[in-house]
Amino acid sequence: MTASVISAESIPGTGRAAQGAIELRQVSKHYGDVVAVDELDLTVQPGEFVTLLGPSGSGKTTTMMMVAGFEEHTAGTVLIDGRPVDSLPPRDRNLGVVFQNYALFPHMSALENVEFALRMRKVPRAERRQRAEEALGRVGLGKMGGRKPRQLSGGQQQRVALARALVFNPAALLLDEPMAALDKRLREQMQEEIKTLQKSLGISVLFVTHDQDEAMAMSDRIVVMRDGKIVQSGPPEEVYNHPMTDWVASFLGDTNLIPCTIVERNGEEAVVDLGGLGLAKVRDRGASGESYAVSIRPEHLKFRTRASAGNGCAATLVSSTNLGATVRHRLTAGGHELQLRELSSDRGTRILPDEELWVGWDADKAQLLVLES
Amino acid sequence: MKTTNPQHRLLALLSIPAFLFLVIPTAIVVPVALNDSRYITFPPEGISFAAVAGFFADRAWTSALTASLQSAAIAVVIGVLLGATAAIGLHGRKFPGQPAVVGLILAPMIVPTVVLALAFYQFFISIGMVGSIVPIGLAHAVIATPYVYLTTRASLAGLNPALVRSAQSLGAGPLSVLRHVYLPIILPGLISGALFAFSVSIDETVMSLFMQSPGATTLPVKMFTDIQFNLTPKIAVSSALLVSVATIGLLLQVLFVLKRRSSTRMLPLAVSAQT
Repeated sequence: MTASVISAESIPGTGRAAQGAIELRQVSKHYGDVVAVDELDLTVQPGEFVTLLGPSGSGKTTTMMMVAGFEEHTAGTVLIDGRPVDSLPPRDRNLGVVFQNYALFPHMSALENVEFALRMRKVPRAERRQRAEEALGRVGLGKMGGRKPRQLSGGQQQRVALARALVFNPAALLLDEPMAALDKRLREQMQEEIKTLQKSLGISVLFVTHDQDEAMAMSDRIVVMRDGKIVQSGPPEEVYNHPMTDWVASFLGDTNLIPCTIVERNGEEAVVDLGGLGLAKVRDRGASGESYAVSIRPEHLKFRTRASAGNGCAATLVSSTNLGATVRHRLTAGGHELQLRELSSDRGTRILPDEELWVGWDADKAQLLVLES
Repeated sequence: MKTTNPQHRLLALLSIPAFLFLVIPTAIVVPVALNDSRYITFPPEGISFAAVAGFFADRAWTSALTASLQSAAIAVVIGVLLGATAAIGLHGRKFPGQPAVVGLILAPMIVPTVVLALAFYQFFISIGMVGSIVPIGLAHAVIATPYVYLTTRASLAGLNPALVRSAQSLGAGPLSVLRHVYLPIILPGLISGALFAFSVSIDETVMSLFMQSPGATTLPVKMFTDIQFNLTPKIAVSSALLVSVATIGLLLQVLFVLKRRSSTRMLPLAVSAQT
């Protein structure tokens, strides 16, 4: 914790090879009476892609800024590769940061932007030029080095920002909503490119976004934040399919929330009473609270024949909307409104409103969770 | 100029007399300075550079010009240093008493010059710093600083705070941040601030009059004292000189802004297109 521990070893280029592990221990940030980040524990393993996902005001950006050193934390410790960096200024933390609007130096060419970190590290001119050109090549901008940022498109600026943040072999990469300014198509393309680049370099990434699709597409692990706290963390599929609370379930996409009472809890499984929908077997992760609900994603609800086994109930179709790749059906069942989504290509015989149907779901796709709101 | 829009024509019709009203009294000193006469007269009786030559041959006038340039140099250097560092230091910071600090920096623009003149006069007498151009230059620096502060602050308004952070994350220390982030952005503000500081000092009469001494008489002071009993065309020459200095300064600034705009015109468009 003292300055002597940090010594010269953690200064870029002088210590052992960076592993890229980031650890936050009981880190808090208070602005006066407002608690922006509340006793946060977070670990990014070397080579791991971790996303902080949350709405604005959840403390995700503040958390990243504390890792980068731009915000001073009120309590706790930040460690990079096992060393506390609390008293290190941003420039000595050896982290590559990509900002929301890229923050490229407007008066420098793309190449000069990428060279900047090497210039600050007193790398000889010839070497830094070569390394900067390599880095630009890696992001597919080998021939654009002479252009000023204003002469580049949004996607190209983003690539320059990436090359600039990677050229000095940082311990880890911090990305603050880097795709927010791009249109949808370009955003998806950049998501894949960043993911590929991250895998090939094996670099740890701490990624901040409020976009759940982006988090799902890129992360090894999603850390869902709300009001300065972590509400759930885990691999994308797990957080999506097995949310702990109704808030997480709704934040990560559309879902059917059916209030229920617990009849029997049995380790990973529970039997619940869904009121008008009868009894059902659901997945249980042991969350406890005052009231419970079951979350079933619209794509996990299926049209079934009454004869088929497992969970199910009678339903009435209210409306169907074609969304292109998928069709969304609104149904009522046992006094609840339900959403069912199926692929347009799976769409069977056309069903009509007011038609009596049977819908079902697999027990492991129905998640017991705590009702917060 | 082909203007078909009647509104534009009306605008021109109204603006031109207003413009002439503003410019003619100033421009009139130039023909007077080039007048072929031993006294100040208008209209001029003939064109001659005798008065101009006389001005530059007269040591009393040339030393007044030198004194003015020296005080302006002091005012520009100190004003730029103080004004720019104050603007950068206060940029984006909020702390109790900050409005008071800003008010203090801007106060010399508001306090009547004659009050400042008296204050500086007493101050410099009491510390025994009289008889040179230095106290005049220092006093000018005080009234020049708020101009530099304001122009620098205005150009800093366009600074993306993430630029500072990204420079820091890339390993830049405070001096590198100043050089690579702040300087390119404040340069236009710094230049126009310096021009302001220069013209404020060149023009300043009241304080220079209070603190004048045989070796430290600035051009406006010399003009002011001479006009009372020695009405020669040299006064008009020095006026013309001041006008041309101001005009050149203005043109330089316009030139700089135009050059800068042509090279950065795309920037705001590109930025707004993304957001």
